Amino acid sequence: MVLNPQQEEFRERAMTRERGGGVEAGAPVRQTSLWRDAWYRYRANRAAVVAGVLFIVLLLYCILVPIFSPHDPYAVDFSEAYLSPSLSHPFGTDQYGRDLFTRTALGGRISIGIGFAATIAIMVIGIVYGAISGFVGGRVDNGMMRFLDALYGLPYLPFAIIVTQLFRTVDFWVMVIALTIASWFTAARVVRGQIISLKENDYVRAAKAVGARWHRVLSRHLLPNTLGVLIVFVFLELPGVILGEAFLSFIGLGINPPKASWGSLAQDGRDVYLAHPSMILIPSIAIAWLILCAFFIADGLRDALDPRTRET
Amino acid sequence: MALLEVSDLRTYFSTREGEVRAVDGVSFEVESGKTLSIVGESGCGKSVTALSIMGLIPKPPARIVSGSIVFEGRDLTQLRDRELENLRGHEIAMIFQDPMTSLNPTLTIGTQITETLRRHLGMSKGEASRRAVELLEEVRIPRAKNRLDDYPHRYSGGMRQRVMIAIALSCNPKLLIADEPTTALDVTVQAGILDLLEELREEHQTAVILITHDMGVVAEAADDVVVMYAGQVVEQASTVELFDNPEHPYTEALLGALPSLEGEGGRDARLASIPGRPPDLLDPPPACRFAPRCPHANLGDYCTVEPPELRELRPGHWVRSAHPTSERAAVAV
Amino acid sequence: MTKFVIRRLLWTIPVLLLVILFTFLLMRQIKGNPFRKTERAVPASIQANLDRKFHLDEPWYEQYGNYVKGVFTADLGPSLVLRNQNVNDIVRSHFPVSLELGAYAFLFAIVVGIPLGVLAALRANKPSDYIAMLVANAGFAVPSFLVATLLIYYFAVKWDVGVPTSGWTTWQSKVLPSIALGFFPMAYFARLVRGTMLETLQQDYVRTAKAKGLRPQRVVGLHVLRNSLIPVVTAAGPLLGAVITGSFIIETIFAIPGIGRYYVSSVSARDYSVTMGLTILYAVIVIFGNLVVDILYGFLDPRTREART
Repeated sequence: MVLNPQQEEFRERAMTRERGGGVEAGAPVRQTSLWRDAWYRYRANRAAVVAGVLFIVLLLYCILVPIFSPHDPYAVDFSEAYLSPSLSHPFGTDQYGRDLFTRTALGGRISIGIGFAATIAIMVIGIVYGAISGFVGGRVDNGMMRFLDALYGLPYLPFAIIVTQLFRTVDFWVMVIALTIASWFTAARVVRGQIISLKENDYVRAAKAVGARWHRVLSRHLLPNTLGVLIVFVFLELPGVILGEAFLSFIGLGINPPKASWGSLAQDGRDVYLAHPSMILIPSIAIAWLILCAFFIADGLRDALDPRTRET
Repeated sequence: MALLEVSDLRTYFSTREGEVRAVDGVSFEVESGKTLSIVGESGCGKSVTALSIMGLIPKPPARIVSGSIVFEGRDLTQLRDRELENLRGHEIAMIFQDPMTSLNPTLTIGTQITETLRRHLGMSKGEASRRAVELLEEVRIPRAKNRLDDYPHRYSGGMRQRVMIAIALSCNPKLLIADEPTTALDVTVQAGILDLLEELREEHQTAVILITHDMGVVAEAADDVVVMYAGQVVEQASTVELFDNPEHPYTEALLGALPSLEGEGGRDARLASIPGRPPDLLDPPPACRFAPRCPHANLGDYCTVEPPELRELRPGHWVRSAHPTSERAAVAV
Repeated sequence: MTKFVIRRLLWTIPVLLLVILFTFLLMRQIKGNPFRKTERAVPASIQANLDRKFHLDEPWYEQYGNYVKGVFTADLGPSLVLRNQNVNDIVRSHFPVSLELGAYAFLFAIVVGIPLGVLAALRANKPSDYIAMLVANAGFAVPSFLVATLLIYYFAVKWDVGVPTSGWTTWQSKVLPSIALGFFPMAYFARLVRGTMLETLQQDYVRTAKAKGLRPQRVVGLHVLRNSLIPVVTAAGPLLGAVITGSFIIETIFAIPGIGRYYVSSVSARDYSVTMGLTILYAVIVIFGNLVVDILYGFLDPRTREART
């Protein structure tokens, strides 16, 4: 269709309106990258944003308070035992007179540290195992998956307990190792599933058909998609690991004193909760805080990164 | 009196970004025993119109803002949910676009047919099963009796659509709405489904609203046509009249976009498409909605300032345009 | 269908062997002969006798062989620490308690969790949805030891509704522990059911059901619910396993004589055979739970029936 100059001008005018005018074929469309899109979508999700903020608040609390706190978290002073919350002791003190505000922050460092370390370790092992299984395929994949199926029969917490007992004392890294070994299976499965579905995916085939080299396929197509899933996965695994550590410490099979994690702080409060409930309440609330944040963040990330899933 | 009279229907969706005016003033009539086709691009509002008639629009984000849908003298927009439920599947039935997902995968075909029969006609289990077999035979499913207890995944796409038709016609509805019934099927299967629909329509004297974006289907199956664009009716006529004398530039373009083996250039001619994209229904153009893409719209024409009204150019032929073909020809002379 | 069941059953054997191997190897690595831990130094000769009685001096593969034989003949060996007690005895007298606790907890989870999720889905984004999800999220995030202590504090002590703070005897004593243990799975179910139902409600076939003029009760009760519950069943198996194997926290708090408590104490006391025996018992439960779920799934979703043979 040939247009006279008048019509051309009209077309242009219509096009400069943001909405409303139909767009002329070939007109430039505003391009946004996947990540920026995801960021906007995430920001639109109120719950996820609030959760993100609260999460960062928690992290800051755990990192900063012990640095600036005037109290020594290890000093024993029985005259100060079981004080109620006050200005100098916002959370009160424990049975040894130690400031709980500081100790909870310290406990947080350990609990969250274990959580992230274990989750990352799980991811690494999962990626390696899952990637090998997914890429190689065939009988190797089959065998590896059967092996994985077998491992699913291992009960999570009991298994972690057994692993912790292999070591002389249970410290930070022992917990990480134990929890990792007891729960890497899901990660491997997820990664393998991703790799397989992506391998078969039409757009990978299309890229190959156009002659794209494998590393380009990997970086441009496979990785961005898998990365999204993995990031969501981190925030989904975190609660499980943190709860696991908390439970083990609570029954006394976890981190050894005087180093404390939220679980062992709760254990301290167990026998006296009737008289001093805050000792068990505070670390439990901290755990719940973290888990709730992690879940809403994971939800928000999942919706943000995968435009296809939509919840009403 | 027509079986169904839709008058100035407006269905809007409330979204975070504003109100999407999916159906913005649509009117048409359907007569008993005839087929009306609603045709237009994806997103022009034809499906929402159909769903509005059935009362199946999702109520929280969507709502019928104004207008009336009069079926056999009753205004459907004023009915309560329970009354609408009695009508659906019984007096007015609908079949959808994708047969692969329109049937419940965990229930047998038999159950999905008999439940409608038992709900509306009060049949017993035995009666309903027998009737279900008859229906399957009517839509030409081979070995119908054995296949009653099969699950949908054992049926092909074409067969599933036939089952959908069987279900829709099971209670002898007066009106059948078919929303792009053949779009998801192969061309060869398509012909079979359209034939079947035509046969059944003849036999039961059902009125049919056939929604499609394919002008070929319209030519084959419809008595009358309504062309929709951006939530509005832009042209309305009998099929023969529309194909012989298209008036709206959009209709012309739709017809021109049909691939043809004859004509200028023959097989080597380029496929004509309509440049641009349909407008955003959040904030449609204030005047004629097709103007930005219309080859006949000029700067300063009143159609870029005032929205054109739907007017009857010839008896039975309505157009919403400032530049209908017959008037352009007159001016050019 | 039966072929599928048999195949799955057969697969549990190598799985079980693997599990036994794992636990066995791990336990072997634990240095610390339980007998050397007691205060009184055990004379060498008696030590040797004990070693021989419990096979501790034989090469590891022989120990393993004996042990596997023992497992399959349901003989888990004697306890290494508690004299006069077999692991079997311990299991027999205390496992039923844990099983009962787990069953009640699970029942609570289903009876409260599933309707909660259904309610939330049907009233999505309205106040009742938010409240329901608040409860569910709380149950999800709050560790069970807090739930337990809160329950005890309020119901048993402060308001004193007639439930004891510990023990497992009268029916009243079984209420709080069951709720405490069942709170997390309840929350899990509620969230899961809400999610699957919301997804199912978007499906085309639900629209078809509505277009057929079926009454809303049928649309939701049959079409929506049946398809929504399939993933829930799949999740239920491993969840039941997790509940039973994770009961030791609740057992500890409520002083319930179940195997969970024995498990914990056996680990601390380095009682090889009890720990191993109980771990294997746990593993059997988990494997069994997964198996039942796999089979159930085949029944519920007709599409998988043919694919699975």
